[in-house]
Amino acid sequence: MSTTDTSALAVQAATSATGRRFSPLASAKFKQNLRWSNWAPAVITFVIAAALWQITAIANPYVIPTIDQVWVSLINDADTYWANMLVTGLEVLVGASSGIIAGFILAIIMAEFQVMERAVMPLVVVVMVTPIVAIAPALVVAFGFGMTPKFIVTALVVFFPMLVNSLAGLRDVDDRALDVMKTLHASRWEIFRDLRFTGSMPYVFAGLRIALPLAIVGAAVAEFVAAGQQAGLGSLVTIAAAQANLPVTWASITLLCFMGVVLISLLALVRKRVLWWSDGAAVGR
Amino acid sequence: MKRLSLIFTQTANSSGRATNPTIPLGCRTNPPGAASGFTTQGVTVETAQPHAGVHIENVSKSFGPDGARTLVLNQVSLSIKMGEFVSVIGPSGCGKSTLLKTVAGLIDADSGTVMVDGMTVKAATKNKMIGLVPQSPALLPWRTVLDNVRLPMTVNPKANANRNLRDPREILESFGLGAALDKYPGQLSGGMQQRVAIARAFVFDPSVLLMDEPFSALDEMNRDAQRLGLLDFWQSNRKAVMFVTHSVPEAIMLSDRIVVMGAHPGHIAEIIDVPLPRPRTIDVYATDEFRDLEGQVRGTLREVMGQKSA
Repeated sequence: MSTTDTSALAVQAATSATGRRFSPLASAKFKQNLRWSNWAPAVITFVIAAALWQITAIANPYVIPTIDQVWVSLINDADTYWANMLVTGLEVLVGASSGIIAGFILAIIMAEFQVMERAVMPLVVVVMVTPIVAIAPALVVAFGFGMTPKFIVTALVVFFPMLVNSLAGLRDVDDRALDVMKTLHASRWEIFRDLRFTGSMPYVFAGLRIALPLAIVGAAVAEFVAAGQQAGLGSLVTIAAAQANLPVTWASITLLCFMGVVLISLLALVRKRVLWWSDGAAVGR
Repeated sequence: MKRLSLIFTQTANSSGRATNPTIPLGCRTNPPGAASGFTTQGVTVETAQPHAGVHIENVSKSFGPDGARTLVLNQVSLSIKMGEFVSVIGPSGCGKSTLLKTVAGLIDADSGTVMVDGMTVKAATKNKMIGLVPQSPALLPWRTVLDNVRLPMTVNPKANANRNLRDPREILESFGLGAALDKYPGQLSGGMQQRVAIARAFVFDPSVLLMDEPFSALDEMNRDAQRLGLLDFWQSNRKAVMFVTHSVPEAIMLSDRIVVMGAHPGHIAEIIDVPLPRPRTIDVYATDEFRDLEGQVRGTLREVMGQKSA
């Protein structure tokens, strides 16, 4: 899963991050990434999948559109798609970042004060086992058809994986390094600053990897239920599907998928920068 | 703080020995009265000197749930004076690591007292008087070698006053790590990482060094180099050292005294003097004295293990 799935962005990140610190290895690694055996299998899979899709679409014109129909729709209505993608993008951006920050901060509080975990975790679990699809319409009733319910749904979806992963990361410190800190009479703050915070990052990034795609799910679901509001790719999907407009439906889906790929690639890029010290294989891949 | 500075300026002093009289065997004889007088906890400047080093008195510790507690340490008493190198050896489960952790303040004893330079362990850690070298280097992988060694100075900075902090660069250079200052732990070999961990324990000039099998993960040839390096450095920076090990030759090579512990429950079986002259070199291994000592230590260990099965 390392670099093949995250395209050129990750390859670039790998070389620049490692090149800075382990320069002799950089060019070798870059060459390794360019070797056809690294990227060819994924490309072949995509080509086969596309071919199967195309054959199925031609045989069943009322079930799925052909790839070229989707492409034409994307080109012809580029402005509409772009505007809707910006709306969904804003929802993801605001919702996900607040959910991520809230999840991480609550994880810190829970890691430092066990009482807080005992007090708050049951409530968090209760909220999280409630299907988000069920909560979303209720939030629309409460907050109207504006952006607010979409932010909340997105944040909620992101919050739990962030909380759980960050908490695990903040707890999983090197016991022996902790022993060294304790014999120095390090304060809780010093242990957090020097040990727990950075040490939790592999887990935080593992959490982000789950949370970011979920953020798109959250934004899309919120748009599904907020009927009447004609903005966002999620709304576009429901409306087009109701009209049996296959190219528009699938063009919107494609763009949602594209957003996910971009987010994950960006994440991989940031991860390589931040977690260069961590064993790639350990966590968060 | 005033008290601290006085303790730190004193050097290894052979008259300051305070070996506990409850130690049964193999112990050097003491001038009478040397061991008395450290029962009080508040230590004044005048009496600080005889209390220098580590004094463990009647320490017991058990683990486990109520009703099914296992006694891990049973009435253990041991003194390590300033500038003395003491190894603790024994079969697994004899509580040697528990004893070390008790001195490090990581585990509280159920009963008995542990004093470091006349202070409780708690006060000693507060004043950063204990350097710990854990079993694994436990370096922070995101910090450079230099920044790893700087860590003890930046932590608990209140205790930095009036002490002889060392230059991290200098200490790393003397450890042969001058070229690795800006490298990251992941770029170093296991032996080098362990040396960084030792530098980290020395850098803030603690009065006591606790080492928990620091070389056990290294291969034998590397281990020898590390032992000699440690001895060399310690020779010019005499600390009270408590060194937990599994290796008989290592214990003899490094120590002034070897504490042999037995298990079930953990207790001190014997304390063996190592009268080999210092500074020691690799040639020590080939001497008759070394072989005699090795036979003695192994014999005691066999006895200890035999008791266990009997």
